[in-house]
Amino acid sequence: MKPASTLSTAFLHPAGQALPEPLLALRKQRGAALVDMPLPTRKTENWKYSSKYLKLTDEMAVSLPTAGKTGSALAVPGYKVVFINGVMIPEASEYPDLNNILIQRFGDLSDAEASELAERLDTTLNTKEVQFAGLNSARFEDGLMIRLNPDAVLDQPLFIIHEVTADASGSAFPRIFVDAGRNSQITLVEEYISSGQEAVLVNSVTEFTLAEGANVTNIRLSMGGENVQHIGATGVTQQRSSRFESHCVGFGGPLRRHDLQVRMEGEGAECKLNGVVVTQGTQHYDNHTTIEHVAAHCDSEETYRNIAADKSHAVFNGRIHIHQDAQKSNANMNNKNLLLSTGAEIDTKPELEIYADDVKCAHGATIGQLDEESLFYLVSRGIDRREANVLLTMAFINELVAQIPVEAVRDTVQIRLNQFFDQAFQEA
Amino acid sequence: MATTDQEVNELIKREYEHGFVTEIEVDTFEPGLNEDVIARLSAIKKEPEFMLEWRLKAYRRWLEMQEPDWAHLGYEKIDYDSISYYSAPKRKEDMPQSLDDVDPELLRTYEKLGIPLHEREKLAGVAVDAVFDSVSVATTFKEPLAKAGVIFCSISEAVRDYPELVQKYLGSVVPHTDNFFAGLNAAVFSDGTFVYVPKGVRCPMELSTYFRINAANTGQFERTLIIADEGSYVSYLEGCTAPMRDENQLHAAVVELVALDDAQIKYSTVQNWYPGDENGKGGIFNFVTKRAACIGKNSKVSWTQVETGSAITWKYPSCILRGENSVGEFYSVALTHNYQQADTGTKMIHLGKNTSSTIISKGISAGKSSNVYRGLVKFGPRAEGARNFTQCDSLLIGDRCGAHTFPYIESLNKSAIVEHEATTSKVSDEQMFLCRQRGINPEQAVSMIVNGFCKEVFKELPMEFAVEAGKLLEVSLEGSVG
Repeated sequence: MKPASTLSTAFLHPAGQALPEPLLALRKQRGAALVDMPLPTRKTENWKYSSKYLKLTDEMAVSLPTAGKTGSALAVPGYKVVFINGVMIPEASEYPDLNNILIQRFGDLSDAEASELAERLDTTLNTKEVQFAGLNSARFEDGLMIRLNPDAVLDQPLFIIHEVTADASGSAFPRIFVDAGRNSQITLVEEYISSGQEAVLVNSVTEFTLAEGANVTNIRLSMGGENVQHIGATGVTQQRSSRFESHCVGFGGPLRRHDLQVRMEGEGAECKLNGVVVTQGTQHYDNHTTIEHVAAHCDSEETYRNIAADKSHAVFNGRIHIHQDAQKSNANMNNKNLLLSTGAEIDTKPELEIYADDVKCAHGATIGQLDEESLFYLVSRGIDRREANVLLTMAFINELVAQIPVEAVRDTVQIRLNQFFDQAFQEA
Repeated sequence: MATTDQEVNELIKREYEHGFVTEIEVDTFEPGLNEDVIARLSAIKKEPEFMLEWRLKAYRRWLEMQEPDWAHLGYEKIDYDSISYYSAPKRKEDMPQSLDDVDPELLRTYEKLGIPLHEREKLAGVAVDAVFDSVSVATTFKEPLAKAGVIFCSISEAVRDYPELVQKYLGSVVPHTDNFFAGLNAAVFSDGTFVYVPKGVRCPMELSTYFRINAANTGQFERTLIIADEGSYVSYLEGCTAPMRDENQLHAAVVELVALDDAQIKYSTVQNWYPGDENGKGGIFNFVTKRAACIGKNSKVSWTQVETGSAITWKYPSCILRGENSVGEFYSVALTHNYQQADTGTKMIHLGKNTSSTIISKGISAGKSSNVYRGLVKFGPRAEGARNFTQCDSLLIGDRCGAHTFPYIESLNKSAIVEHEATTSKVSDEQMFLCRQRGINPEQAVSMIVNGFCKEVFKELPMEFAVEAGKLLEVSLEGSVG
């Protein structure tokens, strides 16, 4: 196939099913904008290290077949919304029907609600920098709107599970929009899993708008699928004194890309971004984060750890942007990387862009291997070499894994990590 | 600190002290660039055939190249046809045979700049090559250097007298295809400095080049080539100034350093081109490509730069660490004020085993300026045991300036270790309070704090330059407290 040169020709999806008119209009308008949006190449700065993994084929330009109520996502206890092959399955989903928290499929929104939503979609992300969020806006077929009224608190974490079960090529464009009202609270867990065998593209976008005092925790697990190219974006805007906490755990794949953009627009806002990435084999994972301090007196704290084994490739690009009026900002970014083998590649770029003078900003980045002396210490005390490797590697990320506030998620992550250790440190 | 604002604003008026123009008769090419201009340039320089071909090849390639736009800079597009590519002081005869033949007006210019070209053997002890607009006008201390076997001359002379060395190394580190400005330089470079230090020789004195742009509407394109043969050592300094003019002038230089086995090169720059006035009018556009190839085992290259001038600085002195155990160092202080923009940093490319590099970068932005550190640290798959340490700190003075950091770190070898850290802060109220409490005025206090901030870099400079750099910083910072 001849490689497509712009995003608009890359994907000709059928019109979305049963979406309200305002959302269809938005899709159409965004679709027209794609004409000027070239597919990223090595020369595209924010895709410099990752464009070579992007392999889009004609076969992917169709929707995945609908599958109904299947897959392993069903086993998750608690509140959950299940998307299978990009489409929400209401009968597999369980969530409370509360009058102060609205959880609704895009297709079920009234025209008035839909037109309000259409105006707010894409407002949290800079689609010039995150081209694929623009693609999602033009192609989304199904989506979920979550609205928390002022002071509403969801008592349990809500799981949103995106599973690919199809044994066919295709693409899915799920979309989530969370509108957290004044002083509301929610913990949202997004989990991306796959059991399909054919090449699939998942292009997801999740947006959060936090009103004054809102408190949102987002856990994002990109778990797998050896054939799934996953390009995801998360956009966040924060008003006064709101707090956003994010825990992103990613396991590699043929192409994994996550753009996370946080804009702190109100004074006293606070955000904390944690990330763990583990890649092996010939896998790839690319995290791009942007934290914008627009208002004064905001705090941000970012910690990302990457581990790359075998011939895999992990990329981190973190940017802190302090606007001119954002005096008294505190920003800290820390990225540490562990390269387990020569042949693997780690690229990192911690950026600071600062236009205000009364700020405290620091970033640090390191790349290295397991410390020989620590290994020796453990081995000299009778721990076998493999075990010592596992201990030290786990110690490298445990600080972040332990911070994940939902126990069920920590367990899932630990099981996957154990599988990774088994493969990465085979020989004793 | 509202009270200090006023006192300070009165002090702000201190002007660029090297802004005078020397009235001197010059030969200047008509503005514009084409193959004829290059041929004429080459003919004036009496260059051998290979040089002309080399230039033309570079020129043809340059025509296909795009001006880079990735840097964090904003400026009006440069019209390359409005620039004159050659300007030289008129000479009565061929070349001046000694300093006595040099136009006295020129000598006075350099005296004014504080660079006595007349050999003051007892005092100076620094050999100087002075480049005025497009040509090298004088080189001092030639004889004692020749006695040690060191070749120190203008690159035009080197092309004529040592063609085999020039042919072997010119463009070997920075090929004409490297980037837009290096391509332009390869086509039209008019002069520069050539240094060759033979095997096992420790160059007996500091070598230095002083660059001066004088003529209007000209670009300065000099090229420096330094080769340190096995086991040799050389320390080289460069300094630059230009008159105050309302138009922007282009300076696109290329510096190539080659270090063979066990050789060591120390390259220091104090760049003080005219930075433009307080409204951002005028100033030099400084687009420079500097790169060192550490080819040999145990070779070492150290770049030290103090950048206080230029309206725009685009400069990334780099080291390609190919030889085993080779070492690269980069120490930089970049100060921007008013509307100056600097996008500067380094590249450390580790290819050989056990190579190591250190990067210390201090950016200070004041006024409405923008100051960027942009760096690359790369470990190739064969860079076993390679190490890098990077520290880039920014200091902001005033709330209308910007300080940015864009470090690229790429590692392909598991035994390589890289550490990068960066901080951004301002001159703290506590520091100022402590100084003022002790009767130090705000100007001096800031100057002291900034000097302390830059100390790590200044201590790398040769003594004469360290003094100059400290003073430069004081002058440039004046009026920026607030």
